[in-house]
Amino acid sequence: MSQVQIGTENKGDCIVRVERGDAVIRIDAKPLVEPGLRHLAEQTLDRCKAAQASVEVKDFGALDYVVTARLETALRESGVGERCDTAHGGIDREPTAADRLRRTRLYVPGNNPRLQVGIELHGADCILLDLEDSVPPSEKVSSRVLVRHLLWTVAFDEVWVRINPLATYGEEDLVEILPGRPHGICLPKAESAEDVVHLSQRLAELESANGVAVGTTKIMPIVETAKGVLHAEQIAAADPRVVVMAFGAEDFTRDVGSKRTRESLLFARSQLVAAARSAGIQASDTVFADVDNREALLEETQHVRELGFDGKGAINPRQIAVIHGGFAPTPAEIEHAKRVVSVAEEAEAQGIGAIAIGGKMIDRPVLERARRTLMLAQRMSAGRGS
Amino acid sequence: MRNALGREVPETRAGKPTRPFMGPFASTPEGTKAARRQKTIGRSEDKLLPSLDAAIEATGLSDGMTISFHHSFRDGDRLVNAVLDSCARKGIKDLRLAPTALFPVHAPVVEHIRNGVVSRIEGSMNGPVGAFVSQGGKLREPAVLRSHGGRWRAIEAGDIDIDVAFIAAPQADRYGNACGICGKTPCGPISFSTVDAQYAGKTVVVTNDLAPYPVHPFEIQQGWTDYVVAVDEIGDPGSIASGTLRLTKSPTRLHIARLAADAVIASGMLKDGFSFQGGAGGISLAATKYVGDAMKEAGIVGDFAMGGATTLLVDMLREGLVRAILDGQAFDLDAIASLRDDPAHLIMDPGQYANYDSRGCSTYMLDVAFLGATEVDLAFNVNVNTHSDGQLLHGIGGHQDVAAGAQVTMITIPTLRGRLPVIVDEVTTVTTPGDVVDVIVTERGVAVNPARDDLRERFTTAGLPVKTLEEIKAEADRFIQPPRKPVFSDEIVALIEWRDGTVIDAVRRVEGWQ
Repeated sequence: MSQVQIGTENKGDCIVRVERGDAVIRIDAKPLVEPGLRHLAEQTLDRCKAAQASVEVKDFGALDYVVTARLETALRESGVGERCDTAHGGIDREPTAADRLRRTRLYVPGNNPRLQVGIELHGADCILLDLEDSVPPSEKVSSRVLVRHLLWTVAFDEVWVRINPLATYGEEDLVEILPGRPHGICLPKAESAEDVVHLSQRLAELESANGVAVGTTKIMPIVETAKGVLHAEQIAAADPRVVVMAFGAEDFTRDVGSKRTRESLLFARSQLVAAARSAGIQASDTVFADVDNREALLEETQHVRELGFDGKGAINPRQIAVIHGGFAPTPAEIEHAKRVVSVAEEAEAQGIGAIAIGGKMIDRPVLERARRTLMLAQRMSAGRGS
Repeated sequence: MRNALGREVPETRAGKPTRPFMGPFASTPEGTKAARRQKTIGRSEDKLLPSLDAAIEATGLSDGMTISFHHSFRDGDRLVNAVLDSCARKGIKDLRLAPTALFPVHAPVVEHIRNGVVSRIEGSMNGPVGAFVSQGGKLREPAVLRSHGGRWRAIEAGDIDIDVAFIAAPQADRYGNACGICGKTPCGPISFSTVDAQYAGKTVVVTNDLAPYPVHPFEIQQGWTDYVVAVDEIGDPGSIASGTLRLTKSPTRLHIARLAADAVIASGMLKDGFSFQGGAGGISLAATKYVGDAMKEAGIVGDFAMGGATTLLVDMLREGLVRAILDGQAFDLDAIASLRDDPAHLIMDPGQYANYDSRGCSTYMLDVAFLGATEVDLAFNVNVNTHSDGQLLHGIGGHQDVAAGAQVTMITIPTLRGRLPVIVDEVTTVTTPGDVVDVIVTERGVAVNPARDDLRERFTTAGLPVKTLEEIKAEADRFIQPPRKPVFSDEIVALIEWRDGTVIDAVRRVEGWQ
């Protein structure tokens, strides 16, 4: 078999070349890091059970997980190694609460190490490692492995992987990714309850195979076609794994042939929120592409918050603070919420049933919304969210 | 002998005794300043000479002498190479080079060291000359690196005895007044040279724009100047002239800058009368911008900002966010125009700015400073001179002076550069002692010097991610195999002086790897 080459010359990456042959490791790197890379390569050969591999690693400042992932891919592609065992990796990832705060889901390209390093530090509520749109077909294989090793390395608060549609690369994505134990899988172009159920069944099989409790992995369907929007209700209610449903405006406008305006998206957005609420899950809005336009992003965030959305996609860490700002309760809202809660608690202590503030009835939904407002406010002031 | 930081430093250099570092503010100067010989130039003498060659001959420059230069053209300077080429042609040997700083453009100095034209260096070496000197055995005596203020002090004290100062001047008159912010190719202030001009045996002003008397503002004065030479080219202001300010887009760097600005806000120092030093590095520029935004939002007016000035500082001055800019170097055209046009944008020489042996430094008036590092260690010591592989690749700049002066000194650094950690157990070289470093800001959190409990409390209250340096280091180290370390020989290639002239560390030749 001929030589296989994986990786790029970009900063933070490395190029690994493997061919079947005598076990030789050649490291092309600065003297300071040469022994460390050699050790890492030896360890990876061992973990991939590759005995007959001639290996060359050319370093451009790649972190360990990147080198290991590149080497694993090259070993497997050249037919001399298996998937890395989990012995050295693994973050003991506890499931997160179904209704946790998810104001931002930050998209991170699955193929670019430079954009992955430290991505957990910017205060996003969810990190979404992407194997779909940001990864060209030629890099699907190496990106899956890279993302799994990243999952083994970093303790994210909540981390999702956006796989490809199951009809294309999605099935292989799942097999590769699940040992990394992401909190959830993001399913693009969800169009029916069957799409979700199918994914859920595959997850159950893979969870069993990987020693993970069945049902642990959450699902976030992304609705981004006309069909998906019309079927939003059944998609949201399709499976208990679904805790949040996201909207993708770019694909949606292309699908229906509309321009992206507030008005053209209003029906789809409102439909999504109603579907999510009826299923008791969260709704998350689409991304905003113009990274430098903070004002427009803030406006759009405030708009979707008014529509009932719980969160929004971000494609750059710079957008996080803006979106969190857009979802932050205003001082007047916080003040009102405090009054509602204190009046309600007082009434409860005195055994009074019906209560009112300024002539307006305080019923359970009002009280719950007030509590959520205070929770949000507290969360916003605790973590500065950069 | 070991100095107060426990670093092994030599007792002598080139046969003369050295003084070990005793602490950032421990030494007291004695005696009087050095001075140049008296001289008078009468009414009839013409200082203008036809060529650089003629000027070198007129100064009597000969074997073993010391020559000096400023670095205001940075990597576009042409004068150092031109003078050394001329010296080489004349067969002059064994020169001591005492520039404020050398850049990659000065790579030909390596050849002049090889062929014996240059045998000693006292000055900053950024890039290839430093790398060459690091190999050992190249110079007749160890190089000496000094801070901006340290160099000024050393010249005044007579530690550096300059025979001939060559001063690249974007505009000069034939009587020897010269200016850096005027002329066809302004490079910003040339006031780093004012001490050279006053203390050198001979002072030569070299200009590409000879203008009618009097050229002004006269940073270099006629009373200091022996000769004037007009040439076609002294330097390419390159990045200074064409550079438009580009803020970094790196999410990690922006994140560090955001944390640094948040730390300034949390420190309680951001109020009317605020002062800060903002460098031209990516993180520092972004942090300056964030601090400026916060000042605008809160209606705060600062007393002054300290440069190297950029468009960013100039805008703050124009918007009334600061009342003045104190500026030693200009990094873009806006800064140069502002120096010419705005009376509140002041040229500041290193004596005013940073001299330890003086009756006051502007850095001592600073509230906050943002500085960088190649390495930081668990004792908060900072290295800006060498890399982890022991190569001497950078000068000190104003690092020591500003760190010692500012009430809150923040080092803004990423935790990793490629596969190499920036936070280490012990820095390869100490440039600035942990005593004068208050806060380390990284993308993984903010570490506060244990001596600054007041700051730690404020940061914690404000919700900043306060961690120990050990914690931040451990987090970063999880991503890499530990690098090996260089093994150093006994041969000393350079001494790092603290700003008071004591030796804070020695750079040794790398012999191999652990």
